[in-house]
Order: sequence, then structure tokens, then C-alpha cells
Amino acid sequence: MATEATKKRSGGKGIWILLGILVVVNLALGIRFAPRHVELEHPAIVQLPNFLAFLGVPGEWMPPHITFTWLVMAILVIGGALGTRALRPVPGPLQNFVEVVIEAFSGLLDQMIGRQGRQFLPFIGTAGLFILTSNLLGNIPGFRPPTANWNTTVALAVTVFLYYNYCGIRKHGLLNYLKHFCGPVLPLAPIMFVIEFIGHLARPVSLSIRLFGNIFGEESVIVILLSLAWLVMPYFIWLGIMLPLSLFTSVVQTFVFIMLSMVYIAGAVEEGHGEEHH
Amino acid sequence: MPNEEPSVLKQLARLSTIGVTLVAATAIGLAIGYGLDRWLGTSPWLTLTFTLFGIAAGFVNLFRDVGLIGRGRQ
Repeated sequence: MATEATKKRSGGKGIWILLGILVVVNLALGIRFAPRHVELEHPAIVQLPNFLAFLGVPGEWMPPHITFTWLVMAILVIGGALGTRALRPVPGPLQNFVEVVIEAFSGLLDQMIGRQGRQFLPFIGTAGLFILTSNLLGNIPGFRPPTANWNTTVALAVTVFLYYNYCGIRKHGLLNYLKHFCGPVLPLAPIMFVIEFIGHLARPVSLSIRLFGNIFGEESVIVILLSLAWLVMPYFIWLGIMLPLSLFTSVVQTFVFIMLSMVYIAGAVEEGHGEEHH
Repeated sequence: MPNEEPSVLKQLARLSTIGVTLVAATAIGLAIGYGLDRWLGTSPWLTLTFTLFGIAAGFVNLFRDVGLIGRGRQ
């Protein structure tokens, strides 16, 4: 309190002198104690011994992305169980929170897919909550987001790919679904089929690479900044710039993933048939 | 808030798909052509054809995402 008052009294010049001194001290410390290498991974907080070595999992410990996948699963399962354990007409705080989350997802589904959107709520909700939890978990130093590993995002994207094709085939039948690939013009049908086929195969690739790339890049920048945190300045850069940015990225990437999944499902379910009247 | 927030996010989501989709489709086409060439031994032709198909698929997806062709999804 008193220092702020003195800073204000010196006409705003004091803060610049203070910052200059901080930078000089930083540089001096950095030249004196400069590390010979920059860490690219911080040690994971949760580690499990490798009890799956007989399945061919390498290393002494379980790979961190698998450990943290299980951690996220545990968080979601326990949270879901606690939130729905004692359902009451007048919800308590936890039940209220769960209801808000479910309402958000089902509202989005109604908006994107339409009347029949609610039946995809279990799939979309699970994927969205898993990605959101693991992205947000990655913002805590020492926790590694499972989505910063390409294997996890490929698993998610391939699941989405198989699921929307299954939905389309279940809705229209195999032949009708394949007919959608051929386009409206008959002579162009073989070419259109190949083009659509490649386009559909490109979807899981782009889904997985986008999520993995964003989260991995964000994670790398944070790790490098925090490995230099003894220089004081990178810590403030992390706290002031990277942390809000990575929170924003986490939410936006989750949203992008589930929204594209919904667009794909909507395309598979209602393409070419128009609205059926019930 | 539910009226404004999703639309901005939705546009972000749609626009952020553009770059990756184009590259991914081309790469998938190239990979299919290369694999078929290795398998059938018809050296450059299938690679060329499927790469062109991949580029075409990328642009079809691109235009569809932007909403120039097909039914643009809100």
C-alpha cells in the first residue's frame, strides 16, 4: 500500500525505474546462472509404475499421456457420480452445475443438428467433457494434458469418423448413404465419389492434427517459460499472457472439435433427404 | 450471452478448419496414390491422379466449409 503511494507520488517515473532495475537484475542473473539447456517437458506429477510391460508398453513408468487419460477419466466418472447421486427437484450446487453443462451441450445440439439432435448427446457430451477437462488440466504446471499427444487425438477423431458414418448408414442404409457420395450429376459420379471419399478421409486427419497441434504448442511454450521461471520475468509473462491465452485456447479448441463433430453427424444424418415430416 | 457467444465461436470454429482441411485432403490423396503405386507398380500415374483428386477434394471441402456450394450450414 505504502509503496504504491510512493510510486504514484513520483509521477509514474518510479515504476519505469523499477522495471528497468528488474530487467537489469534479470539479465545479470541470467548471464550468471544461464542454464545450458531448456527443458522441453516438465516432470509429471502423477506417475504409475509400468504394470503393462507384458503388453509391450516400453519404459519403466507408464507413458504420461495414458496416466493422465486415466486421471481425466477418474475425474469425470467421480464428478458424474457425485453430481447425479442424489437427484432432487430443487438442485443443490453440484447438480445445478451438471445441469448447466448438460443444458449447454443439448442446446448446441438442437442448434446444429435440429430436432433429432438430442440422441447424440451422450457421444458429443462425453467427447466434449473429456477434451475440455484434459485441456484445462494442462494449464496446471506438472499436469500434462492427454490431448497434447497425437495418439489421444487420433483415437478421438477416428471414433468421431466411425460414429458419424455409422449414424449415416443406420439412418439411410448402406446404398443410399454411398449414393450421397456420388453427387447429383450421373456422368461425374465416379470422380465425385473419389473426391468425396478422400474428403471424408481427410476429416479425422484435420480434426486430430488441429487439436493436437494447438494443445501441444501451447504446452511447449508454457513449459519453456516455466523452466526459465527463476529469471522472474518469464514467470510474469506466463501468468499475464500465456495463462489467459491457453485457457481461451482450451475452450475454443474443445468447441471447435465438438462443433465439427456435430457438423459431420448432421451432414451424414440428413444430407440429401431434406426434412421429413412427422 | 447465449445469443452472441456461440455465433462468434462458431465462426471461429468454421474459419479455423480451412487451412488444415486443404492440406489434409491433399496429403491423403498423395498417400493413397503412392500406396497404390507401390502395390500395383504403375509408377508415377496413380500418384499424380490421386494427388490431383486430393487437391480437388480439398477445394470441395473448402468451398463447402465456407458455404459457397452446397447447402451452407448455419
